[in-house]
Amino acid sequence: MKWMAFAPEIYYLLAALWFLVLSLVARPDARREHLTSLFLAVLGVIVCLAAVKSEGVLFVNAYRVDLFSQVFKVMLSLGLFLIVCICGQLTDIKERNRHDFYVLLFVCTLAMMLLVSGNHLLTIYISLELSSYSLYILVALRRDRDFGLEAGIKYFLVGIFASAVMIFGLAILYGTARVTYLDEMMKVLPELINRPAVIIGLLLTLSGFFFKLAVFPFHIWAPDVYQGSMNQVAAYIATASKVAAIAVLARVVASAGQGSTYLIHVLVVLSIVSMTIGNLAAIVQQDLKRLLAYSTIAHAGYVLIGILSMNSAGYAGAVFYAMALLVMKFTVFLVVVEVACDGRNIQIEHLAGLHRRSPMLALALMVSLFSLAGIPPTIGFTGKFLVFVAAMEKGYFTLVLIAMINVVVSLYYYLLVIKAAYLLEPKEELPPLRPSPPIKLLSCVMVVVMIVAGLFPYYLIELAEAAVRAL
Amino acid sequence: MQVTYAGFPYLSAILLCCVVGLLVIIFIPEERKTLIRWVSAIFSGITLVLSAYLFFAYDKSLGGLQFVERFQWVPSLGIHYFNAADGFNLPNLFLTGIVFFTGVLTMWGLEMRVKEFYALYFLLVAGVFGLFMSMDLFFIFIWYDVSLFPMYLLIAIWGSTRKEYGAMKLTLYLLAGSALILPAIIYLFAKSGLNTFDIVSLMQPGIFSSDQQKFAFPLLYLGFGILAGVWPFHTWSPVGHVAAPTGVSMVHAGVLMKIGAFGVLRVAIFLCPEGWKYWAELMAFLAAAGIIYGALVGLRQTDLKYVIGYSSVSHMGIVGLGLSTVTAEGLNGAVFQMFAHGVMTALLFSSVGYIYDRTHTKMIPELGGLSRIMPVASAYFIVGALASMGVPGLANFWGELMVFIAAIRVYPVRGIVAVLALVVTALFMLRVVQKTFYGPRHERYAQLPDISFYESIPRMILILVLVLFGLYPSLLVDLIQTASIPFMSGLPR
Repeated sequence: MKWMAFAPEIYYLLAALWFLVLSLVARPDARREHLTSLFLAVLGVIVCLAAVKSEGVLFVNAYRVDLFSQVFKVMLSLGLFLIVCICGQLTDIKERNRHDFYVLLFVCTLAMMLLVSGNHLLTIYISLELSSYSLYILVALRRDRDFGLEAGIKYFLVGIFASAVMIFGLAILYGTARVTYLDEMMKVLPELINRPAVIIGLLLTLSGFFFKLAVFPFHIWAPDVYQGSMNQVAAYIATASKVAAIAVLARVVASAGQGSTYLIHVLVVLSIVSMTIGNLAAIVQQDLKRLLAYSTIAHAGYVLIGILSMNSAGYAGAVFYAMALLVMKFTVFLVVVEVACDGRNIQIEHLAGLHRRSPMLALALMVSLFSLAGIPPTIGFTGKFLVFVAAMEKGYFTLVLIAMINVVVSLYYYLLVIKAAYLLEPKEELPPLRPSPPIKLLSCVMVVVMIVAGLFPYYLIELAEAAVRAL
Repeated sequence: MQVTYAGFPYLSAILLCCVVGLLVIIFIPEERKTLIRWVSAIFSGITLVLSAYLFFAYDKSLGGLQFVERFQWVPSLGIHYFNAADGFNLPNLFLTGIVFFTGVLTMWGLEMRVKEFYALYFLLVAGVFGLFMSMDLFFIFIWYDVSLFPMYLLIAIWGSTRKEYGAMKLTLYLLAGSALILPAIIYLFAKSGLNTFDIVSLMQPGIFSSDQQKFAFPLLYLGFGILAGVWPFHTWSPVGHVAAPTGVSMVHAGVLMKIGAFGVLRVAIFLCPEGWKYWAELMAFLAAAGIIYGALVGLRQTDLKYVIGYSSVSHMGIVGLGLSTVTAEGLNGAVFQMFAHGVMTALLFSSVGYIYDRTHTKMIPELGGLSRIMPVASAYFIVGALASMGVPGLANFWGELMVFIAAIRVYPVRGIVAVLALVVTALFMLRVVQKTFYGPRHERYAQLPDISFYESIPRMILILVLVLFGLYPSLLVDLIQTASIPFMSGLPR
């Protein structure tokens, strides 16, 4: 029965294998592949929900299943499901690659699930690599070879650099603290945390996750990769991949107990620089995906505020923020995918006249951007509010003030996008967009979720707090 | 969840009216414009009736918080959905009802994207109502932002004169205000150690140390003060007023700026009374500077809406001066002035809106002799201008009088200088009236029709209110005193 706790991972492995077999034997058929993947993704959500209460340790304590990991697995499976929803028209990928696309998507989700449950540093490292390698290929799969390959290679180079740094950090950490299991680290580290070698080892270890989350100084890949990869893959990187990164970051930082002032100072600086760079650079972007990439960097900074607070309120805030990011970033990408129906990159000015071409999509775009900007009553505001409260409990007043100033800066470029959608008129008359009914329903649901979760965050906050208690 | 409410939840009913109205409007097809207008008028009318009922049903002999509705929202963070009415917020709720309803009527002639306009308009007003009635810091912040973000689209889509610039400037300025408010609110929350956002619990004496109050007060004062047009952070306000469409200008100058002043009162002064005393000198200085600056800059304006915009800066300075006196009389005057100024600017913008819709200009040199072409429409503006000068018999007189009596007692120099600035206001208002409505008439506009009876209704309501409270100020003063006197006597000396 112990293996039941492992059910989601087994399920996603089988699903990935299923597509692998299909790619060998079946003829490409876009509609059938999409429906199959949709079915498998829905089933995956159900499996994860069924396994949400399970607990236990597996593989000689290297793998831990607890509420924290299970909540994140549900989020990841939901993320996969949402991404698969917008894969109805994979125009930007060669026909013969479509099976590979789904294989990699499921493998990547599997890897992230392994990541959030990892209890041994090597488990974490290996699953991190597995998810990264899937993403490198996904990015490079774009039909426009130069664009996709360039982005894939950039992503790859920065990624292997980050993992090399991480391995170095792991070595230092082991050399000084003699631990590799997270639960042992939790006992040993708080006493050793003021040793320079431990802090350096821990920070270098965290770099691997900073790369995933696009925190300064490991953020440089984000704009190019978002721009170069196909819209759906960029959406996946912006949502599911970030969720997993937040989870593992929270888990590893939590093992450091109360932390040391040096560690916290470094994290504070990284957080401030990330959000400032992200927001300032986003102002001048014309390509919508590049803009979203920079906004992701800024959001990484906000999430870091919750994590560096190193109290349960902060981790709960980060968990809530992960949920918020999943919903709001996805909604923006949903609009991007629908507007760019042939899979091209869209500039901000291409949104002109959206309010007439499709009022529903325009509304979804507006609500999700206000949510990203952190305007109440949306889920994005609640996320920011929670991490700010956590930081203030630790007395980081200046940090919160700087973050709020950043919020004002970010509102400027979000408003530019909203202005394009609601005010500007296209140069030549464009036909109305007719999103399919499921997509319309999906965007409607997303809008409702963002607002309702902003107005009644009670249950989600409870959930986040319960998950954090398992840390 | 623990729930407390006494009787019918009138306050929530007002909010619900806005939300239901919004949803109904969303589900009406765009083409049925008349239906949308009627629905808006009915729902805004209900909010007016409800807010008027509360205004008159409040038991003045009892005082304190009445019509309380309270239940836990997020227990782990101590957030409550907590609405209540007292002498400070009832005048403002009533004002919002009046301006909302008359604003809907004023915008009756709108033809472009009607549905979206009213939907956003309802959202805006929902935020305003919510802020006035809420007694929970978290919700106050939520409502503050809810009332801000529809402004961007309302101005940028339906506005005029540099609308995109005005909209962006306004939104960013006001958001910058919230960037000061939120850290201050969370700071107070964390320092209190009570794990609650409930204002009534947090305002008990002895919860915040003197230094904490002195630290948090300026953040809250400036944060909300930006919205109240506190000099030198007022620059968004004339630009925003000019760019906004008529109905939005009315809500904006009439009610939205009051949110700022009310926020200073409800959050900054309630929670940090010692900080209030400590910083009062600075507040008085900024307020006096605003009064004088607004009057002098208004003197040079040639655009009707800019004139009203700068006079608003000047009049909101009077509110600020009242708040800075740290006396019960000053608070009475400030709240009275909020109410009177709200009605008066709504009237002025509403009248300018009519003129602009017909003549398609609001530049004073291009107008002239309008009183012979449209005597009734001109009369509405002139009444508004008289109110703005503080002529006895109209509500503004009492607000200004009370503030100046209190101010001269506490800050003689600043008070007297501010009174002198009022003369300048009178001067420029009279100049505007003379140049716009008297003098030779323009043949270009000779054929324009005068305002019809139906179009007059909103303006008449506003004038009625101005005259009513001009003749019976005690209706309002008695109400405000039920809050201001206990509040001042409860302060540690």
